[in-house]
Amino acid sequence: MEILKAERLVKIYQDNGVPVSALNNINLTVSKGEYVVIAGPSGSGKTTLLNLLGALDKPTEGRIYFEGEDITTKDKNELSKIRLHKLGFIFQAYNLIPVLTAIENIEFSMMLLGISDKERKEKALALMDELGIKELANKRPNEMSGGQQQRVAVARAIVNNPSVVLADEPTANLDSVTAGHLLDLMEQMNSEKNITFIFSSHDKNVIDRAKRLIILKDGRIDN
Amino acid sequence: MLLKLAWRNIWRNKRRSIIVLISIVVGLTAIVLTDGLSNGMIRQMLFNQVNLDISHLQIHKAGFNSNKVIKNFIPDYQHVESILKSNPEVAAYSKRVFATGILSSANNSSGVIIYGIDPEEEARVSIIKSSIVEGKYLSGSKREIIIGKKLAEKLGVDVGDKVVAMSNTLKGDIGSDAFRVAGIFQTANSEFDKMTVYIVAGAEQEMLNTGDNYHEFAVILKDYNNVTSIKSKLESALGSRYEVFTYKDLLPLFIFQMDLYKESMMILNIIIGLALIFGIVNTMLMSVFERIREFGVLMAIGMRNSKLYLMILFEAFMLGILGTLVGLVCGLLLDIPLAHSGINLSLFATGLESFGIGAIIYPVLSVGNLINAALFMPFVAVLGALYPAYKAIKLEPIYAINYV
Ligand SMILES: Nc1ncnc2c1ncn2[C@@H]1O[C@H](COP(=O)(O)OP(=O)(O)O)[C@@H](O)[C@H]1O
Ligand SMILES: [Mg+2]
Repeated sequence: MEILKAERLVKIYQDNGVPVSALNNINLTVSKGEYVVIAGPSGSGKTTLLNLLGALDKPTEGRIYFEGEDITTKDKNELSKIRLHKLGFIFQAYNLIPVLTAIENIEFSMMLLGISDKERKEKALALMDELGIKELANKRPNEMSGGQQQRVAVARAIVNNPSVVLADEPTANLDSVTAGHLLDLMEQMNSEKNITFIFSSHDKNVIDRAKRLIILKDGRIDN
Repeated sequence: MLLKLAWRNIWRNKRRSIIVLISIVVGLTAIVLTDGLSNGMIRQMLFNQVNLDISHLQIHKAGFNSNKVIKNFIPDYQHVESILKSNPEVAAYSKRVFATGILSSANNSSGVIIYGIDPEEEARVSIIKSSIVEGKYLSGSKREIIIGKKLAEKLGVDVGDKVVAMSNTLKGDIGSDAFRVAGIFQTANSEFDKMTVYIVAGAEQEMLNTGDNYHEFAVILKDYNNVTSIKSKLESALGSRYEVFTYKDLLPLFIFQMDLYKESMMILNIIIGLALIFGIVNTMLMSVFERIREFGVLMAIGMRNSKLYLMILFEAFMLGILGTLVGLVCGLLLDIPLAHSGINLSLFATGLESFGIGAIIYPVLSVGNLINAALFMPFVAVLGALYPAYKAIKLEPIYAINYV
């Protein structure tokens, strides 16, 4: 089943009045349960593409269909609703709320959905257990290592059962062993829960484990 | 959970939040204190006036108040007296005879208003008996007079000295009598002390040749808050031959001043509030700018703008509530001892005395004022957060996430 479809995407930034072409005629289709890695050198447009697919930014030209719906025409509130219900995000770093504990960070997305206190706790704990991070429950982000924070971020991203999880270079700040564990986790969630992952990386270890690889170069797909 | 988040966000930058809290506490303490003080001052001014000579209600012959001449005495005062006696809301009353005249000593003379009273009755409605500072209050003897300290100084008389009072009589000729100064009083109102003297009603009636007649009933009620409704009850019971005035009717300028005073206090509070709003706007803006990236993450994971907005307002609201709790406690801790001991303003008292205020002000706290003060700060804090919160939700998530 086709979840995401990008048609002739173009993104041109204005850098102090100078147009910078970041994406050039991207066509891409992602199906349910895929595990996609977008690779490419720095500046090739990976972040830009993920932001567009994640409804965080709008393309200069082209269309993006999410579960068949065109999201390029939607307003801020509708997009925020789609992100809340259908998408999960993992960022490179600093992406947990610093004043909340691990479990509260995971609960936060559920709170936004209006899930009750009790149910939130149970679900968050069950998921943390599954991901092997139960002992982190009451730790604040600054009491956790980078790898631990990213695991909590994975938990937060998937707790609302999103259709797609988008991750922009999630392993960039981790050493290779920790990065490997994080990849194990994402692969496990992908195969066990059939969650679709799309993430970017320029790390060879990550790229080698990709089930589907899209290589970007100067804003174009190069494979 | 939003509340929990807001609460923890406050304590992220402890020093900054504490500075805001302190300013709220200081502002609120100032408001509680000035409110207490101004209330106390107003109450005292009013009480001094009311308890000196105005009383709560006055009854005269219709037209007396606008034409205070001797012949306008109360017709059938026994009728009025019986009505007052049977009214359960009346605590006390005093019958008075008035005349304007001249009081002379061996050295000097001065224009005065001569009150003819029943000493016992008058003692129940006014503070004149307790204001005696030298000698004694009227015993009931017709040859005694009590005068104010200022007047005694002017005339150069002391307790025991002889003075002569002179006034027009009912027929229009001059009546005069000699009196011995029985006592000297001093009230908070030096103007009053300069021009008011008291003798026994019978002596004045003889001097004025008015027979058994009075000009005024000064009435003290059990609860002065009911003064307006009691006034209309008395009016209908007495009929059109009489006039009834409340202290509010009799002190229009004073009531006006009181309102003016209350308004100026409100303006002061608004100024304090404005200063605080700017402080809070500034603080909340700083705290919003520090968290741009975090807001980006919150928006990315699907937090609606309205919730984000609410969260920032909650933060300010909580600061306001916290400041209010501490500020009220501080304000009360300062106010309550002062309410007992009073604040000595004797440095300025010469000016105040002519307004009828004593040198010592006792702050008065009303529950209504405290509630207003308690609601004020959280409201001010939320007001101060509106703009910073608006700034936050105007952020584009993509810009916010990449903000460094
Ligand atoms: N906000 C922006 N304004 C101007 N140019 C931008 C902006 N964001 C990205 N770019 C440019 O777009 C191109 C693609 O950037 P990006 O998507 O961040 O690539 P990657 O994530 O692969 O490093 C780069 O040339 C970059 O300089
Ligand atoms: Mg990038």
